[in-house]
Amino acid sequence: MTASPLLLQELLRQTAVGDAAAFAALYKQTAGKLFGIAIRIAGRGEVAEDALQECFVLVWQRAGDYDPLRGAAMSWLIAIIRNCTIDRLRRRARRPEGHAVEDALDRLAAPDSAAKGAELRALEHCLGELGEQPRQAVLLAYVHGLTREELAVRLAVPVGTVKSWIRRSLDRLKRCLDR
Amino acid sequence: MRYDDAELREKLAAEYVLGTMPALVRRRFERLLAADPKLRREVEDWHARFDPIDHGAPVREPPARVWRAVERRLALPRDSAVARPGWLGSLAFWRGATLSATALAAAVILYVAVRPAPSPATVVAILTDDTGAPGWVALGNGRGGSVEVAPVHQVALDAAHAFELWAIAGGTPHPLGLLQPEPGHPLAVEAGLVPAKGMLAISLEPAGGSPTGLPTGPVQYKGKVLISAR
Repeated sequence: MTASPLLLQELLRQTAVGDAAAFAALYKQTAGKLFGIAIRIAGRGEVAEDALQECFVLVWQRAGDYDPLRGAAMSWLIAIIRNCTIDRLRRRARRPEGHAVEDALDRLAAPDSAAKGAELRALEHCLGELGEQPRQAVLLAYVHGLTREELAVRLAVPVGTVKSWIRRSLDRLKRCLDR
Repeated sequence: MRYDDAELREKLAAEYVLGTMPALVRRRFERLLAADPKLRREVEDWHARFDPIDHGAPVREPPARVWRAVERRLALPRDSAVARPGWLGSLAFWRGATLSATALAAAVILYVAVRPAPSPATVVAILTDDTGAPGWVALGNGRGGSVEVAPVHQVALDAAHAFELWAIAGGTPHPLGLLQPEPGHPLAVEAGLVPAKGMLAISLEPAGGSPTGLPTGPVQYKGKVLISAR
């Protein structure tokens, strides 16, 4: 289900002028997707619930900061839910053992529009140019919120190796995507 | 750390978005971000590079207590932001939304008059189905010219049929064109064809549109024009 980008943009703008009904409609349109992202990062519902709550408090307070010229409304919301989730996750003790990591490495995402599909294909192509293990490190960090230390355990390499994989991978990704 | 080093800034922005910074470094970086618009720009760019992954994330319905907690924390008026099941589809909610869209439209006109460019989108009409659930929105660009009509969500449609948009003023429907059932492909209609005090309606027609120039199938969505699109 894809909400119309223009509708989200409009609801966000109405939220910025204090329209509670528009804010409620914005929640209804986007909370499911944002909660899905938060659960994927946090690995557990309670952290994701806290993050979603904080995310929408911030959306209400900062809707006026959103600038349509700088990107889609959904992308703005995604950046907020990611930050809220990671902040909450990092403040707690380590994630429970046996946290199930979904099979995100083979099938990154189901593109939900033709344009987004093209961006996703470009990203997949550039991720494909990284080595197998560095690519896993980047995706496990981004999609599932793993720290450097958790990545080191999971991929059975020293933390220093994880650090340099990530540095180099981000650098190569940027060059590849900006080409 | 030397935060004026361009290469280092770039690296920090990337690791911040990836989420792999240790908590302490993360907090320090956020304090920097608050005071540095250029650094914020770099963070935004990194979000944009990765966010196709998140757009495809599976939808998970959050428990109702999350919205209740948001409402409580922000002390929102309970009746304008009802979260009971099915509220989005309830007529009462959409009456409220319609009213506020009208009030908002007035604000938009002011806004546009003061700041010529870039203009925001204006809700010209919300087209609902029989149950009052919103199906389509008509958005103007606030400068006249054209109005874009697109569904809120993908709408089911078989190959033998088409959705046709009609302007209704004084009881006579006037055909405006065939609609795509996906949100990403709006139909652009000349603003002058959208009646300021009329309605927009969508009927189900044979593929290719009504053969008679008047609706032949059932009207599936309709909505009042809330503001002149001109």
